[in-house]
Amino acid sequence: NFLLCFLFSLSRYLLFQFPFTPIPLYNLLYSVAKLGLLFVQVNSLSFRCVSKCPICHGHPFRCSQAPLPFHLQLDRLHRLVLFLALKSLKESGHEHVYNAVEKPLLLAQSAAALEILHGLIGLVRSPVSSTLPQVGSRLYLTWGILWSFPEIRTHILVSSLVISWSITEIIRYSFFGMKEAFGFAPSWHLWLRYSSFLVLYPTGISSEVGLVYFALPYIKGSEKYSVRMPNKWNFSLDYFYLAILALGFYVPGSPHLYRYMLAQRKRALSKSKKE
Amino acid sequence: MKVTLVSRSGREVIKGGLELHDSATVADLQEAIHKRTKKFYPSRQRLTLPVPPGSKERPVVLNYKKGLKDYCDGNQNNITVVFKDLGPQVSYPTLFFFEYLGPLILYPTFYYFPVYQFFGYKVERVIHPVQTYALYYWCFHYFKRIMETFFIHRFSHATSPLSNVFRNCAYYWTFGAYIAYYVNHPLYTPVSDLQMKIGFGFGLICQLANFYCHIILKNLRSPDGSGGYQIPSGFLFNIVTCANYTTEIYQWLGFNIATQTVAGYVFLVVATSIMTNWALAKHRRLKKLFDGKEGRPKYPRRWVILPPFL
Repeated sequence: NFLLCFLFSLSRYLLFQFPFTPIPLYNLLYSVAKLGLLFVQVNSLSFRCVSKCPICHGHPFRCSQAPLPFHLQLDRLHRLVLFLALKSLKESGHEHVYNAVEKPLLLAQSAAALEILHGLIGLVRSPVSSTLPQVGSRLYLTWGILWSFPEIRTHILVSSLVISWSITEIIRYSFFGMKEAFGFAPSWHLWLRYSSFLVLYPTGISSEVGLVYFALPYIKGSEKYSVRMPNKWNFSLDYFYLAILALGFYVPGSPHLYRYMLAQRKRALSKSKKE
Repeated sequence: MKVTLVSRSGREVIKGGLELHDSATVADLQEAIHKRTKKFYPSRQRLTLPVPPGSKERPVVLNYKKGLKDYCDGNQNNITVVFKDLGPQVSYPTLFFFEYLGPLILYPTFYYFPVYQFFGYKVERVIHPVQTYALYYWCFHYFKRIMETFFIHRFSHATSPLSNVFRNCAYYWTFGAYIAYYVNHPLYTPVSDLQMKIGFGFGLICQLANFYCHIILKNLRSPDGSGGYQIPSGFLFNIVTCANYTTEIYQWLGFNIATQTVAGYVFLVVATSIMTNWALAKHRRLKKLFDGKEGRPKYPRRWVILPPFL
């Protein structure tokens, strides 16, 4: 029974670890897999796992629960982003990195917005207060700076940004995926999840700040997203000054986030030592 | 009797405890603590009875008027009291005064002084009548609030933490400047005369209604400052629990109808949500307090703050 449980989980996890396939094919395979699992779930009513099974702890329904495909999809998306970024960096130089990664990057970072919803409804344990600034800054950089102002796309900081982001996300999402499929994650993975930020947060944050700063002349010149007076609603918006305000948020925000991650690291690594 | 004073973590706050006479009140205890610790004046102290470990109930807060004997549950000579430092405190009137002073000063600054040149506009500008009326309306509103703070309101707590000064002033002053900037802008577009009259007229009526609501609330509490809660009644309170907040929200709506700025409407939405939170808490508290049991009256069915929505 334990073996069956384990085989189920393994097959489920491997099922989602295809190299990136075109979406329609993946959808078909996923539907087939889901139907199959549903079949098993119905049948497993009469089949109890051994309580020692680390995945389901004697609970038949847990065995048939599919891991959150969201996290695994995102993991694969970010792997694609990293692969394309490194490939274009090597072959064509840093000016072409954005063009190579644009579509999966926009998709992956926008999908990350759902993380806030997940935090609110309790599907993931991360508090909204730490995911909101993270997702907020990602969306701002992706759509508000890179997508809106093409002149900044050729900057070298784009490469460092994309690489920092994608490595962080790969480690993070595959960590969640492992925990959901197997119920645990190996200690090296835990270490990686809580240590990679030590380097990747500074590089990522510096790239973000740098890109906003270097995009400022283009923002000012283009008048994009700005509303001028006079108008019926007596409203005005200056995207240039908003960008400067955004830079201002990084001043207290980055040390706060970094300190929060350090505390998380201490807690997670000491907890695993105790077990 | 002997009072042992501990912190919430169990550590003794005053070594050896305090010795007080048997008929001492909680206020006497507060004075004694203040004498010994110098730093912790009475309004900074939060004294509660210890809660058994693991219990989820809220601890009983000691009322400063009651005798200590009333809290001793059997052992008349010994009592353990839990102490919490609430941090530096500021009296409510002081807090409110500084909150409201900002808008009262900042708004006229944008109206009277040539500040827009620093934003890149020419100094010469045309002032529309609605901008002048808006100035009078705004300043009347905040002047009224300051007067009410000193002469009408009877607060349930005497003080508020010092950090609230910074938080509240930031809120009022920032929004004050934000709205003042747009209403007094050289490129301001006024609404129609009729809309302005409707807006200010409605707003003024609501401000007077708001004032009357505050008078009713004041009369619910005795002047000796003991606070407490009663079921409000009369005027709009018969239909809405927090009629004072309702009239305040409608009053701002009147201002926005007359001046029509996005900044003003944003302020309206934020203020409404804050007041709605307060109203829900107050409504809940009143319903819990007046549950109809043990001779207490039952709280009647009423709208919370904004009929017909809530």
